[in-house]
Amino acid sequence: MGKLRFWIALAAAKLSIIALKITKHNGTNFPGVIALRICPQFIKYIGKPEKIIAVTGTNGKTTVCNLILDALAMEGIHPVNNRMGSNINTGIATSLIQSSGITGRCRHKLGVFEIDERSALRIFPYLVPDHMVVTNLSRDSIMRNGHPEYISGILTKYIPKSTKLIMNADDLICCSVAPENECVYFGIEKMDTDLDHCENLIQDFQICPKCHHKLEYEYVRYSHIGKAYCPECGFRAPDYDYAGCNADMDKMTIEVREKDGSAEYKLLNDSVFNIYNVVAAVTLFRQLGYSREKIQYFFSNMNIVGSRYDTREIDGRVVHLMLAKDKNAFAGSRVFEYISHTPGKKEVIIMNSCQGDAVHWSENICWLYDCDFEFLNSDDIINVVVCGPRVRDYRFRLLLAGVPEEKISFTEKELDTPEELLLPDNDNVYILYGTDSIKLGRDVADKIEKKIRDINEGGVK
Amino acid sequence: MKIEVLFPEICNLYGELWNVSFLKQSCPDADVIETSLTDEPLFVSETPDLIYMGTMSENSQLLVIDKLKNYKQRIQDLIDKGTVFLMTGNALEIFGKRIEDKDGTVVECLGFFDTYALRDMRNRFNSLYIGDFKENEKDIRIVGFKSQFTHSYWEDENSAESLITTERGPGLNPDIKGEGIRKNNFMATYIIGPILALNPPFTKYLLEKCGVSNAELAFETAAMDAYNARVAEYSDPSTGFYY
Repeated sequence: MGKLRFWIALAAAKLSIIALKITKHNGTNFPGVIALRICPQFIKYIGKPEKIIAVTGTNGKTTVCNLILDALAMEGIHPVNNRMGSNINTGIATSLIQSSGITGRCRHKLGVFEIDERSALRIFPYLVPDHMVVTNLSRDSIMRNGHPEYISGILTKYIPKSTKLIMNADDLICCSVAPENECVYFGIEKMDTDLDHCENLIQDFQICPKCHHKLEYEYVRYSHIGKAYCPECGFRAPDYDYAGCNADMDKMTIEVREKDGSAEYKLLNDSVFNIYNVVAAVTLFRQLGYSREKIQYFFSNMNIVGSRYDTREIDGRVVHLMLAKDKNAFAGSRVFEYISHTPGKKEVIIMNSCQGDAVHWSENICWLYDCDFEFLNSDDIINVVVCGPRVRDYRFRLLLAGVPEEKISFTEKELDTPEELLLPDNDNVYILYGTDSIKLGRDVADKIEKKIRDINEGGVK
Repeated sequence: MKIEVLFPEICNLYGELWNVSFLKQSCPDADVIETSLTDEPLFVSETPDLIYMGTMSENSQLLVIDKLKNYKQRIQDLIDKGTVFLMTGNALEIFGKRIEDKDGTVVECLGFFDTYALRDMRNRFNSLYIGDFKENEKDIRIVGFKSQFTHSYWEDENSAESLITTERGPGLNPDIKGEGIRKNNFMATYIIGPILALNPPFTKYLLEKCGVSNAELAFETAAMDAYNARVAEYSDPSTGFYY
């Protein structure tokens, strides 16, 4: 019966692809939704590639997947992947449907999948990755993900035992995943910017997992990311198999040292979280058997996709569009920290309220109190513009963070935020948008661009 | 005012340590003592004006129960003599009788109240919340969020000692209107997050209970503006309440 349902599901899903094309609809998930509704075990029966690489983790999984796919494309390899769809079971099913013929056989030898960490239970019984990168595990959506220990428990329970894990040794929550699996560790050695104690609001690994005494850190990068040890019982974070070191922000390179040699790789972005993404991808490629020279070639020809970070230079001012995932305090803190450390005068537009929640209910804003808004209390941040459905919550949170009231601008509508900008010469404007406001972010950037051009043409400031 | 924060290294989910930070910003003279799992709690040797504990992971609940069971009689004495406690999120469950997980696991808790929690880690329950906190002539609207794997139940609903009367959202469980637990000045609620920052009128009430009268809260105007907007939003029948 299961197999019969599968054939019906496959036929229906294939027809849905044709229907979507005829009606000119996108529906990137729709075929998978249909297939799984008809046959809940669809992923079990559909043909899979011979080799599967998976990437999961709270942050960075999309970027790491993109790095892998872009690199493989340079080799002329185009694996089945879910880049254009979702990272839950329906997105995986859709990509497998699209890569199979009417017999359900997969046309690709390789698959690269981004996998939502909470969806592991619906995907891993049927999809067995050969290699799986776990970028990091941290607080995420309160409603969906609860807390990181819950997510690491799900991954431990459902990741197949045969999967070789590529794990972030600087993240002890990540390291606690699937302890019985074979794994290699990557990390980044002490950096000049590291601290010896955590200054972030979120620190989710403060006690020793063995004796429950407080852990100490040789260095802390942010939150629980760093090199921990227990002074009481001797517990230590794992050693690196692939150690990022000697990061050079002028040259935009990082060295990755292995047991039998090292090489320098081009960085795509100077934020620490993106350096981790590069080291994670380098580790994966080394595990897949690629030479260091080949991986160097990959990275010297890559960029981070524009939907996550983009800049526009307009008449002496720079507008930065940055994704700051809504309802994700950990990601928001990284973005705030990054902005606070960049040189020059800055104005920040915070417009990463969840637009979807504003329609259906009201956003749970507890995450604002996990997120380090304190980074925005900085002399060179001259104006913070808050807007959108949760504008009052943002204003209050910024005040608690110590941002002076006179530096906080307030407007209900996102598209009105350009009017609140000061736009001095050499200004940097950061537009922080959420996952469901990418287009809105671009529309705001367009208005700012027009305003700057008007100023420079002698218009009204 | 002396505030004891129990086990902030693990009981700190959902921004809840801001409950204490907000009190500290509002009362800069307040003395905040953070007690870690390996310390002896301050309440053993002194009577703090407020004892606070926030939401934690399910494994952390085991560590906290293991720690606090050594001080059961002292905690009972403090509750009986009216010491102010504020417990948020699943810290509430620790003071009930037990937590029963759907996987068959049963965790014995401290047993101060006749409640038990049912836990289903496959289903997370999310909602907004609005209700009324009443004491004598005080009637304070409470707004907040719930996000949990559990609901708690009274063994005998007639003996329920609730903290808040629910207007919208679930009570201690979806079948009852009573939310949280109240006995003397022991207050526990399933509402998560920075409940004090989000509810300035209740914060003022709590400070009064702790001996601070007529306190001006930090950024009170902005706090009240956000609070009033949330009360209006949650009172609006068109606002969806369940995620």
